Amino acid sequence: MKLYRLGTVAWPYSQLLYHALPRLNREGLILLSPDSPYVCIGYFQDPEQDVDLAYCREHGIPVFRREVGGGAVYLDGNQLFWQLVIRKDHPLVPASREEFYRKFLQAPIAVYRAIGIPAEYKPVNDVIVHNRKISGTGVAEIGNYIVFVGNLILDFNYEMMVRVLKVPDEKFRDKVYKTLQENLTTIKRELGDIPPREKLWDLLAEKFSEILGPMEVETGVDPEWRAEANRLGEVMLKEDWLYMRRRPHTDYGVTIRSGVEVRQKVYKATGGLIRAIIVVQEGTIADITLSGDFFFYPADKLTELEKALIGVEVEKAEKIIVRFYSEQGVESPGITPADLAMVINP
Amino acid sequence: MQIAGFEFPDELYYDLKHGWGRVEGNIVTQGLTDFGQKLAREIVYVEIPPIGRSVTQGQTFMSIESGKWVGRIPAIVSGKIVAVNEELEWEPNLINKSPFDRGWLVKIEMSNPAELDKLMRANSPEFKAFIEAEAEKFKSVLGG
Repeated sequence: MKLYRLGTVAWPYSQLLYHALPRLNREGLILLSPDSPYVCIGYFQDPEQDVDLAYCREHGIPVFRREVGGGAVYLDGNQLFWQLVIRKDHPLVPASREEFYRKFLQAPIAVYRAIGIPAEYKPVNDVIVHNRKISGTGVAEIGNYIVFVGNLILDFNYEMMVRVLKVPDEKFRDKVYKTLQENLTTIKRELGDIPPREKLWDLLAEKFSEILGPMEVETGVDPEWRAEANRLGEVMLKEDWLYMRRRPHTDYGVTIRSGVEVRQKVYKATGGLIRAIIVVQEGTIADITLSGDFFFYPADKLTELEKALIGVEVEKAEKIIVRFYSEQGVESPGITPADLAMVINP
Repeated sequence: MQIAGFEFPDELYYDLKHGWGRVEGNIVTQGLTDFGQKLAREIVYVEIPPIGRSVTQGQTFMSIESGKWVGRIPAIVSGKIVAVNEELEWEPNLINKSPFDRGWLVKIEMSNPAELDKLMRANSPEFKAFIEAEAEKFKSVLGG
């Protein structure tokens, strides 16, 4: 296996290079750090739900979706990344995920200990010191490879981390900030100072070599790898990739035949989530099931509302719902007839 | 039947990636076994593939996430996806709670029923040996 000591790279390459390597059927351990801050979201996250995109745009902070799991993180040059790309069938890869994390996290743990921080492994995938997290980690399976990424945290901008997250209000943000302060630490917080970066890179290389065996060192990116990273950048740096809806798919439709469609629509109203599964036949509701996590009083009236909607043209659904509410004395806090109509005739 | 303390319904087909398949006519419902879901731990996200996508036996076609690990699921047979378990997007841990029933993943219309011969049945000695070896390998994860 090769060890790629790349130092500081332009931020997109701090993500694209490890996504590219397995696609070239190559293993490697990459050590690098980004030259500028960005927000990185997990594969399954929805940036619109999880990140304050307006703030990021306003402050020139890019947002990137990785193929690795986990949540949104604020990354910058005060974090040293390791990125291990290893074949799934490599003899050093343990059978279970927990054993995998336990084995390879020994390298950063040994680095921390070498500089005087008593880090420990905490199952399943954490490195902690005095019960505070001191490394972020995650894994993606890409083709026949496991990609394991993580960081040594030299210093951390807690304020920015909390600022870039999408939260319901400032009180909530404050709570997140305090919890983060209490549960995430850094080399600077633990030691009062940061050891020279070169020393930390050397230690990372040394401690990973103790697990992976001797590695040939490269300090640059070869043309094949660069080209693949650039090709991936054409996809992964685009909005289509970033905004790819990951959770949950709210709308589905299956056309049974022309004019007959079964569809599901979900709408988030103030009072909760409303879901409808509807069979539409020639523009008319042939069948409908309403559900969700909203309150509807009296509860049995929801079934009656469904019955009242059968045979109704989808475009007239709201009118029928309004009339039903008024005739039946229905109450649904935070859910209006217009909200219910949204799942029928969006 | 029970193997190494885990349930493996007799009527299902199994692959070596801890997938199961229930065959009804030309349609195979695919899921993750109870053993498989225990190894994965709590599943927090499931990527639902689009209906109509063609899949190839043994090749991955959908992702699930647990413990910050995005893993890939291989298709148990080749064919076309004709149904997906949409509930998993709302409640991904149905795979953990009800692996053989409500936690099913997809239904595949088989393109080559002969591929079933490559799968195993719960009562085959090879499958029993495979699961027992897996149980031994993952002893620490499965709790002894």
